[in-house]
Amino acid sequence: MRKLVLPVSIIAVILALVLLAPVLPLADVRAMDIPHRFAGPSMQHWLGQDEFGRDVLTRLIFGARASLSIAIGSALAAAVIGAALGLLGGYFRGLVEILTVRAAEVILCLPPLLLALLVVTILGAGFWPLILALTILYTPNYARIVYAATLQVRGLDYVTAQRALGTHPLKIVLRTLLPNVLPPLLVQISLVIASAIVIESGLSFLGLGVVPPTPSWGLMIRAARGAMEQAPMLLVWPSLALAGTILTFNLLCDRLQSVLDPRAVPAGGAIWLRRRKPAASPPRAVLAGEDPVNRRAVAGTPPAAGPGDLLAIDGLTIALRRAGGIGSGMELVRDVAISVRPGETLAIVGESGSGKTLTSLALTGLLPDVLEVTAGSAVYVARDGRRLDLLAEDEDGHRRLRGDEISMVFQDANAALNPVQRIGEQLSEVIRAHRPAGAAEAGREAVDLLRRVGIPDPDRRARAYPHELSGGQRQRAMIAIAVANRPKLLLADEPTTALDPTIQAQILALLSDLRRDSPEMGVVFVTHNLAVVAEIADRVAVMYAGELVEEGPVAEIFARPRHPYTAALIGSVPEGGAERLVAIPGTVPPPGKMPPGCRFAPRCDHAEKVCRQASPPEFRPQPDRRTRCLRFEEVT
Amino acid sequence: MTMRLTRRTFLATSAAAGSLTFLGPRSLHAATNGTLRFGLSAYPPSFDAWASSGTAAGTVKLLIHRGLMSFAPDGSLRGELAESWEVDDQGAWVFKLRDATWQDGSPVTAEDIAWNVAEASKPDSTAFLRGQLQTITKVETPDDTTVRMITEEPSAVLPGWFAHYNMPMIKKGEAVDTTMGAGPFKLDATDRGVSLTFSAFDGYYKKGLPKLAGVKATVYADENLRVAALQAGDIDLIEYVPWQAMEQIEQNDQLKLDAVDGPFMYLTFNGKRAPFDDPKVRRAVAHAIKREDIVAAAFYGRGGTLAHLPIADGSAFYNPDLADGWAYDPDKAKQLLAEAGHPDGFDCTMLSTAQYGMHQSTAEVCQAYLSMVGINVKLDLPEWSTRVQKGNQGDYDLAVMGTTAANNDPDGLSDIIDGSLPASFVRSYGLETPEISGYLKKGRTTFDEQKRKEIYAEMEKVAIETTPIVGLCWRSQGYGMKPNVTGFTNMPGQLTFYSGVTLEETALG
Amino acid sequence: MLRYVAYRSIVAIFLVWVVVTLVFLLLHLVPGDPAELLLSQGATAADPQAVANLRERLGLNDPLWLQYAHHIGGILTGDLGTSFRDGASVAGQIVQRLPRTLEVIITAALIAVAAGVPAGTLAAIRAGGWVDNVISFLSSLALSTPVFVVGSVVILVFAQELRIVPAGGYVAFAVDPLRHLMLLLLPAGTVALALWAVIARMSRASVLDVLERDHVRTARAKGLSRRRILTRHVVRNAMIPVLTVLGLEMGTLIGGTVLVEFVFNWPGLSGYLVSAVDARDYPEVVGIVMVISILFVFLNLVVDVVYAVLDPRISLAR
Repeated sequence: MRKLVLPVSIIAVILALVLLAPVLPLADVRAMDIPHRFAGPSMQHWLGQDEFGRDVLTRLIFGARASLSIAIGSALAAAVIGAALGLLGGYFRGLVEILTVRAAEVILCLPPLLLALLVVTILGAGFWPLILALTILYTPNYARIVYAATLQVRGLDYVTAQRALGTHPLKIVLRTLLPNVLPPLLVQISLVIASAIVIESGLSFLGLGVVPPTPSWGLMIRAARGAMEQAPMLLVWPSLALAGTILTFNLLCDRLQSVLDPRAVPAGGAIWLRRRKPAASPPRAVLAGEDPVNRRAVAGTPPAAGPGDLLAIDGLTIALRRAGGIGSGMELVRDVAISVRPGETLAIVGESGSGKTLTSLALTGLLPDVLEVTAGSAVYVARDGRRLDLLAEDEDGHRRLRGDEISMVFQDANAALNPVQRIGEQLSEVIRAHRPAGAAEAGREAVDLLRRVGIPDPDRRARAYPHELSGGQRQRAMIAIAVANRPKLLLADEPTTALDPTIQAQILALLSDLRRDSPEMGVVFVTHNLAVVAEIADRVAVMYAGELVEEGPVAEIFARPRHPYTAALIGSVPEGGAERLVAIPGTVPPPGKMPPGCRFAPRCDHAEKVCRQASPPEFRPQPDRRTRCLRFEEVT
Repeated sequence: MTMRLTRRTFLATSAAAGSLTFLGPRSLHAATNGTLRFGLSAYPPSFDAWASSGTAAGTVKLLIHRGLMSFAPDGSLRGELAESWEVDDQGAWVFKLRDATWQDGSPVTAEDIAWNVAEASKPDSTAFLRGQLQTITKVETPDDTTVRMITEEPSAVLPGWFAHYNMPMIKKGEAVDTTMGAGPFKLDATDRGVSLTFSAFDGYYKKGLPKLAGVKATVYADENLRVAALQAGDIDLIEYVPWQAMEQIEQNDQLKLDAVDGPFMYLTFNGKRAPFDDPKVRRAVAHAIKREDIVAAAFYGRGGTLAHLPIADGSAFYNPDLADGWAYDPDKAKQLLAEAGHPDGFDCTMLSTAQYGMHQSTAEVCQAYLSMVGINVKLDLPEWSTRVQKGNQGDYDLAVMGTTAANNDPDGLSDIIDGSLPASFVRSYGLETPEISGYLKKGRTTFDEQKRKEIYAEMEKVAIETTPIVGLCWRSQGYGMKPNVTGFTNMPGQLTFYSGVTLEETALG
Repeated sequence: MLRYVAYRSIVAIFLVWVVVTLVFLLLHLVPGDPAELLLSQGATAADPQAVANLRERLGLNDPLWLQYAHHIGGILTGDLGTSFRDGASVAGQIVQRLPRTLEVIITAALIAVAAGVPAGTLAAIRAGGWVDNVISFLSSLALSTPVFVVGSVVILVFAQELRIVPAGGYVAFAVDPLRHLMLLLLPAGTVALALWAVIARMSRASVLDVLERDHVRTARAKGLSRRRILTRHVVRNAMIPVLTVLGLEMGTLIGGTVLVEFVFNWPGLSGYLVSAVDARDYPEVVGIVMVISILFVFLNLVVDVVYAVLDPRISLAR
């Protein structure tokens, strides 16, 4: 909302000037002083005098009255009429649509100037005909926008529900649809006001606008254009007023848009698009840094950080980055340490909000711009044997690895594939990004890959667009993209969640096949589904509220969980491996409201006073197991 | 009507383009192949020879056509196709034709002339002078070179009709919108709305004329752009120099200005409605307006005040004692209003047009001055076409108008002040002027110069008294040109729009 | 697809008929009599009998329905009639004028896209930064400066002072290609200015939208170069709505370039329309409006089809 302060206050000043014009100590707006025509600025006339010797400043302010009231009046009138037409047409469709939206579109076929000309010549020039002409002109715009927005909202569940409940259609339109189409409508209004000011000036220029001696900016520009040689400043003032006002309305429109549709774009644009490494991000301690050392002192020594690891994450902490904003520095993932060996599949399990997806994104540098890694390291052994800290890599460093050594499979293949690119091309471009392959060669390889992931008729499918494939085929294609360059590390982020159980099983089978084909490939499998974990993983890491709470071999953890949360998770899986996690009472605390002690304590049956006092350290019940529970021995 | 590409037009345009690369004074003197590039203000709406189709069309007609008569650069009446003209003892006009040819090579005969008069005066004719020509009861052609016109009553002004650019002669049997005439230039190509290309007619009856090899007329509807085009060197000659640009053209030693005071601005009234059906109220308006301010504000000081009937002070019919008949005198205006029963003034609507800045500015100044004597004027500023209709239908209280008279003779004012003529936007609506109509009629049938002067002086006296219109100001009508354009004359007074006739003598030095 | 085009064409014909009828009726409501106007050119009094004669000749004395029937009948047989003023064929004039207007609009669109898409994209990838602010400011300025002001300044600077270009006008391409192009650039550049602002703003919003999409993250996860992600996965996708807007804007520009044509003396369709309205030349006005609305509807159809081609998810089948 703070963004709106500037444009709104400028507009308030303009409106105040306009409204108060009659009581301000201004010169008479009509008083001519022909002997002093074109006189320059003076004490009495700050901006000089016009072609009739009238005071320019006064006329500028009074001109704003005409120009703005016409613009705002017609923008609002058109908004009301257009919104009504769009809502009715969009909601009822059929005949009503033809009579409202389509009828309004007839106006679009008429050249705007002809329309204004006809209205003004039939009704006579002046204030009201001008408002009418502009209202007619802009109504179809609104009708179209509201119509489109209405169509979108109309299909939503809660509207259907209301309809099924027999709510009066008019009530649905006013109570439910109108609030939903309001944001695009508001933006359109400010756009139209700006455009109407320009059109008003154009019409006045053509003599179709305001009737003199009432001043308007358009009339002033028209008069000044003729006398450009004598008094160029007369052209400058109204043009400046016009441009400045429109600038303000555009600013308001932009800001309104960003307030109504808050996107977390940092100032300066998406970080990954910047050439240089962002200087804004604070220097992060890596490997031998102090901070992680301190944390490690609390957390204990990371397990298995041995030379055999493919990837060893240590002390990973992810926090909100929002310079001076609310919640800046809030930690979403804290002090996570895990490792993956070549050929091993590690499952990261947890409820939504546990930080499991963020952990995998941090490894590839794909965190959203509002988040940043504030501490930790992730040592990865590359193909060439180098040991890299993935968390310290910049965008270019990540790019060399991504899709090549480290690749990702995303949850929603429908959104993750480019809708307007053919499957084959999406595949071949990842090949060509990392290997010197010709287009034809990459194309052939793409077809082979599609075949390998079990897509029938791969030749034809390679030429298809994502929307032409079934959900399962899209996920197969996604996986094909991920394994195209035979990665060393595959990060799969809930790859089966969006799919129905049969397809889910097929995809898991495919992943197993791939692992068999590439025995050296490490897999990090992020999921909330324990049944899947049991099927695919070698080891499992359980995360809760941004922390790693337990880690160890799958069989052992399933047999004997050492953390009450893990136990609750296992207990919640119904027999037969159905989808949902059920029956853990309470919810994950939001990032800003973390309890001081163990984060699971509020929901824990075993919690004691001591659990609520300090964050529990890590314990090692067995050499290859870790847990963050003071009472791990009591958990069964 | 399509653009025909001739070798000449090609050379002309490429020469113009070539001049762009050689900037500076040299390009100003670069030969344009003897083709004058003329910036018109409008494209002729039609080529109808006899219809009143505007001043731009008038210029075009003066290039391709010739009438029986015309006006010389000094404003005097002269023969064109007619070698001589005189009234015979029966009061009929006898025109002796000279040896002239149409542009198709055939000779101009008396029969052609008679056909023109007959066609233009037909009941279904749309000729501008149809009404006047209908007073010609018979046209006789005793031989191939003699035309005798017999009128109901003897007419002193008949030769003037045949000098009008809306009354050129065309060859018998040609369509009325033919572009084949007996004038100095042939129309080679047109690009409708854009340009017209003319070339010299080598069979023109005046020896050695025209001097130019051709004329390329290009339409620049925007007055500012017209001046810009002249300054940029795109064209050699422009018409309708906007008043605000006159000084800048005068001061530019690469350009010259030829301006005369000819057209005039005036107010017309709705005589069918109170309060302007009262001559006192009309006269009050006449005294309420300070005309200097109109000249300054609407015409950038380019023109002169006009506080009587539009008879120029250079005219033989000018009456110095009446010149200040409607002088600015707000007290007198208030007194007249009080006498007429409007001591506190009244509200009324003033018709003008937003399409032309001068009409609008004039109206704005009048509005300001009328408000000072208590007349609250609401401006009605439709576009021109609507304004014309409203004027014709009397849909106004008072209106701003601007035009020229038909010629410099006081009879040329008939259209503006003769209340017996049908309703028209150029004159007051429904305002009977029996005395003035009588004087005009008498003037037309009087041949003696001195007697005519007396008649028109009486008429002006009555006009000042009854105020059928209110003269406001003369406006300067200017042509701007490069210094190497010679022989082109802006003709005096009301004849300024006849200036196209001098293009036959124009040369590029 | 074909069925869709056929369906839309039928709707289009209906729409054009409605527009033509509407304009025909409105024109007769507008004050001003064509015959009277034609005969009182140059502020002269028209002879009432001459006016009556001309009205008869032009068929203006017929009842309105008969005039309408004549007109529609003519249109159906492919005859747009002749001008009231000089009898010129309306269709012939439109054929001559329309290409000039299209030339300006298309050139303007090319300039606007060539400059607007990179500007909008740059603004989006540097959203909130100074580049974004500068582009936002410039586009607001471009949107808010009336074309007649821009035109006057351009003429003053480039034609009168610098003498780089002629002061407006038109020369056929066949006569002098270079001069034709120079003269074309004046109006086209001015139209492009406002169009550029629209395109830049749309591109910015659209690119920002696409940048947030999952498939862009996928593209990054594939290790593609910034350039390839931007061109193939961001800008290409973002251009779909931009093209739609461009199409619609171009539609309104046909017949909407009045001021530009006036200021630069460019003899296009819009100026023709205005002069026809001024003269109350009914056949010309109706003919021009008909052609403009046909083009507009056609352009809309093209936009929809192109949309479907660019975005394979959209199916035109109903």
